[in-house]
Amino acid sequence: MIDQLLQTHIIIGVLATGVRLSTPFLLAALGEMFTQRSGVFNLGVEGIMLMGAFSGFWVTLVTGTPMLGILAAIIVGALMGLLMAFVSVTMQAKQGISGIGLYMLGWGLAGFLFRITVGYVTSVEGFRPIAIPILSDIPILGTVLFNHNWMVYFSLLLVPISWVVLFKTTWGLKVRAVGVTPEAADTLGVSVRGIRYACVVIGSIMAGLAGAFLTLGHTNMYGDNLTAGRGFIAVALVYFGRWNPWGILAGSLFFSIVDALQLWVQVLGLDIPYEFAVMAPYVLTVVALAAVSGRIWEPAALGKPFDREA
Amino acid sequence: MKRVSLFVVLVVVLSTLLTACGGGTTSSDKIRIALILPSTIDDMAWSQSMYEGILAIQEELGMDKVDFEYSESLGNPVDAGAAIREYADKGFNIIIAHGSQYQSVLDEVAPDYPEVSFAYGTGYQSHDNIFAYDPQAQEGAYLHGMMAGLMTQSNIVGIVGPVEAGDAIKYNYGFQQGVEAVNPDVDVRIAYTGSFGDIPKAAELAKAHMDAGADFLTGTAQQVVGAITAVKERDGVYWLSNDMDQSPLAPDAVLSAQTYDWVKVLKQIIEYRENGTMGGEHLSLSLANGEIKMVYNPNVEGNVPQDVKDAVEEAKQQIIKGELEVALPD
Repeated sequence: MIDQLLQTHIIIGVLATGVRLSTPFLLAALGEMFTQRSGVFNLGVEGIMLMGAFSGFWVTLVTGTPMLGILAAIIVGALMGLLMAFVSVTMQAKQGISGIGLYMLGWGLAGFLFRITVGYVTSVEGFRPIAIPILSDIPILGTVLFNHNWMVYFSLLLVPISWVVLFKTTWGLKVRAVGVTPEAADTLGVSVRGIRYACVVIGSIMAGLAGAFLTLGHTNMYGDNLTAGRGFIAVALVYFGRWNPWGILAGSLFFSIVDALQLWVQVLGLDIPYEFAVMAPYVLTVVALAAVSGRIWEPAALGKPFDREA
Repeated sequence: MKRVSLFVVLVVVLSTLLTACGGGTTSSDKIRIALILPSTIDDMAWSQSMYEGILAIQEELGMDKVDFEYSESLGNPVDAGAAIREYADKGFNIIIAHGSQYQSVLDEVAPDYPEVSFAYGTGYQSHDNIFAYDPQAQEGAYLHGMMAGLMTQSNIVGIVGPVEAGDAIKYNYGFQQGVEAVNPDVDVRIAYTGSFGDIPKAAELAKAHMDAGADFLTGTAQQVVGAITAVKERDGVYWLSNDMDQSPLAPDAVLSAQTYDWVKVLKQIIEYRENGTMGGEHLSLSLANGEIKMVYNPNVEGNVPQDVKDAVEEAKQQIIKGELEVALPD
């Protein structure tokens, strides 16, 4: 039964599926990483993803141009981010609760807007895979990595970019400072509010893109609660990846490839109870997390509103 | 801080209002039907089929005779329980909780409202004022299995399932028997997403089935719209649909549909109530009583060879006459 799984085309299928499945996690989790690095805990990622998924889908349906859908998802994501930043940074609300509020708002609003604008199940022409010349001809690796739509490449490229921005630029240093000792950053003249607003908005735009990937780069349709909990998994992946882009990449790929593997195990009819297959990615992620545990570092000011007068 | 908490409460209330909607007026001699749905009225599957059934009843009996309200996206039975009590308090006579997952909630709520008739399905256990409706999904599934078994080129057919429960077990079991009966060489591959509403996962499962060689796919639950859209994007693969005719989603890929006639079921419930029976009946939907219908998609019906059609029709008549019984798992 194992030899069935070890055929080349199946390994390729599993890995290619895994890479595709990891994209929404990667986009949303890298964004949430910036948000949390600045000290804000945005639990509303799922709601923003739903709004991004809907707005991207609807604009594409109306205009026929998926890139305009992406633009809409960016704008909607930014607006949701501004709302979250206003509530959590300016008004200093409890971040867990406002995140849940944002999630419910996004879910309800996306469903409501879908009802009044579209109101039936339909599909759009989304992004097609682009085979990268030469690279896509590499055996195995070519199909696994270089035969996807642009959003998959984009999400992978964001990993080194995020790393450089966070660890090699002055702005990244400010973000990290604000997330650990906002008081110190403040005395040095760094605008804590400004940095946090920027990071929440960046994180929300990326959550919007993650949602738009599901409608325009994956399923080509929209349905109620389309994200089905992926936003919450993305938040968990930020912890798994220890607020580091490479860690998040590892976590996203690991979770998604195990998920792809369990789909294929079922499809090939291997004799494993489906309940075990379905829960495999979750169980193994927890196991992996436990196995590599040590003292867990997290941004010291995470979840704590900053008040200069306090 | 006060302002903020108020804002959060407002957001929560607003979004709850947005997800649950409805409308109607009150009158005592009216039939007042409330519907609780696990997904939405436009899911192009399970929920929409019942919603359209009630609209048809309203049309037929007169808009002034039937009051109708509904609540959507109540997949969680606990939330559904609150909505069910609210409808009962508001004086609705017939409250339909459209899913097998609502059975235990109804068992708990129904005794408090003896004047109200409750209904749920897929299920068979009924009580004093609870009706259980029960589509014999395995019957149409058997016929779909025959179509797939007779027409597949690759000898691989795939099922995109939700969780191994209720309707899905019946459907998958019937489908396997249909395939087996006409072509034992075919490999029927059953896979589950672990959810009823994970559209991207259903799409991914369909893609994996097709990559692994399947050229006929089928499945149940509202999430299959994702799978159907994925099937539409490949040539030479057919989808066999369930719950309602899903061919508008993929006019060239959906070959046939098993549909449920909820209008007849609803009429039975209304009639029982008029005769003083508040519940306690097991309402079976079957090919024999005409409450399950099989429809070919006219766009692609021409691709079905005549001998396949004849064989399917013959089996259908045998099921109706009771000469062929599609088994259910123990």
